[in-house]
Amino acid sequence: MNDIFSGKSVRLSAVDPDDFSRMFTRWSQDSEYMRLLNGNAIRLNSIAANKKWMEKELEGPSSGLYFFSIRSLADDQLIGEIVLDVSNWTSRDAFVGLSLGERENWGRGYGTDVMNVLLRFAFTEVNLRRVTLVVFEYNPRAIRSYEKAGFRHEGRYRKFLNREGRRWDMLLMGIQREEWMEQNMESHQ
Amino acid sequence: MRNLFRGELVRLTAEEPGSRAKVEVHWQRDTEFHRLADSDPAGMESEKKLKEWFEKRNEEGFKPERYSFSVRTLDEDKLIGFFGLWLDLIHNEAWVGIGIGEREFWGKGYGTDMMKLCLQYAFTELNVYRVSLGLHAYNPRALRSYEKAGFRLEGCTRGDVAREGRRHDSLWMGILREEWIQMQNGDSK
Repeated sequence: MNDIFSGKSVRLSAVDPDDFSRMFTRWSQDSEYMRLLNGNAIRLNSIAANKKWMEKELEGPSSGLYFFSIRSLADDQLIGEIVLDVSNWTSRDAFVGLSLGERENWGRGYGTDVMNVLLRFAFTEVNLRRVTLVVFEYNPRAIRSYEKAGFRHEGRYRKFLNREGRRWDMLLMGIQREEWMEQNMESHQ
Repeated sequence: MRNLFRGELVRLTAEEPGSRAKVEVHWQRDTEFHRLADSDPAGMESEKKLKEWFEKRNEEGFKPERYSFSVRTLDEDKLIGFFGLWLDLIHNEAWVGIGIGEREFWGKGYGTDMMKLCLQYAFTELNVYRVSLGLHAYNPRALRSYEKAGFRLEGCTRGDVAREGRRHDSLWMGILREEWIQMQNGDSK
C-alpha cells in the first residue's frame, strides 16, 4: 500500500501547537491570507491565543476532526494547514478547509496536491461518502484548484460576504465517493 | 415515516439515570440475568453508585459512536430492559448489547421485538453496514431470538468462559445491511 500521507510536493504531518501557532500568527499578518481563509472580520491574535485555540481544536469533542499541518517535501517547511471535519457520520459527509500561509507558496500546485492527498485519506481511510467545501467568489485560484481535484459546483450563497465595499458570493462545492473512485482508484491500486 | 421508537410490544425511551438505576438494583440480584447478559463476575452496586454510572453514560448521549435506550412495555409502560449500540464509525458497523431484566418478560417475544427496533434504528437511522453481537452458548433462548431477528451465526470461540466449574463457548453473530433489507421486503426464507 502507498504512503497515504504524502503527495508529489507536500505531505500531511501532525499539528504541533507550538510550531503551528508561531507560523499561523506570522501568516495572519498578511490580511489577504486571512480574507481568503475566513469570512468573519479578520483579526490578529497572539501566539499564545492561537496556541490555546489550536490545543482546544485538537482535543476534539469526538473522533471526527482530522487536523493536519502541510509540509513541503523538498525542504520540510511548515507551509499550511488542512482540516477534515466529519459533520455527519450517518450520512458520512465531511467539510474540508485548507490554507497555505506564505504568498510565495501560492499558485504552485501545493494546494491541489494536498487536496488530492486529503481526498484519498477521506475516501480510503475514513471511508466517507462525500466531501464538501465552501470558497469565496474572490478566490479564483482556490476555485480552480478544487475543480482540478475533482470538486463540482453545487450551489452558491448569493451576496454572502461584504468586503471592500461590495458583496460577494460564497460557492458550495462537493465531491462524491463514486466520482473520486472513478477518477483515482486505478492509479491508487 | 414510521415511528422508529415504537414496536409491537415495546417502545424505546431515553435512558433516565434515576429510573434505570432503580430497576438495575433489582435486576442485579438475579444472577441468572447477569450471567446471561455478561461475562464479568456478578456484582452488587448501590442504587447511588448505579445512578452515577448511568449519569456518566448519559454524557455520552451526544457521541456519534454511542446510542443507549431503555425499553418499556406498551401496555403497562413498565421498564423491562435496555439496549445499546456501539459504532465503529470508520468501518461503519455496530455492536449491540441487549437485555431484559424482568424475568416474567422472558420467552414472550419482547426481546425479538426490541431487536427489531434496534436493527431498524441501526440500518435506517445510523445507516450502518452491519450489526454484530456476541452471546453465551448456554443462552439458547437468545440465540433463537437473534436468529428470528435476522442474525446469522458467524463464529464460536471455544471454552472462553469459565462458569460453574466448567468452560463454555461464546457465539458471534452478524447481520448485513442487504440481508436486513431483504427481510423487510419479505424475501426471507
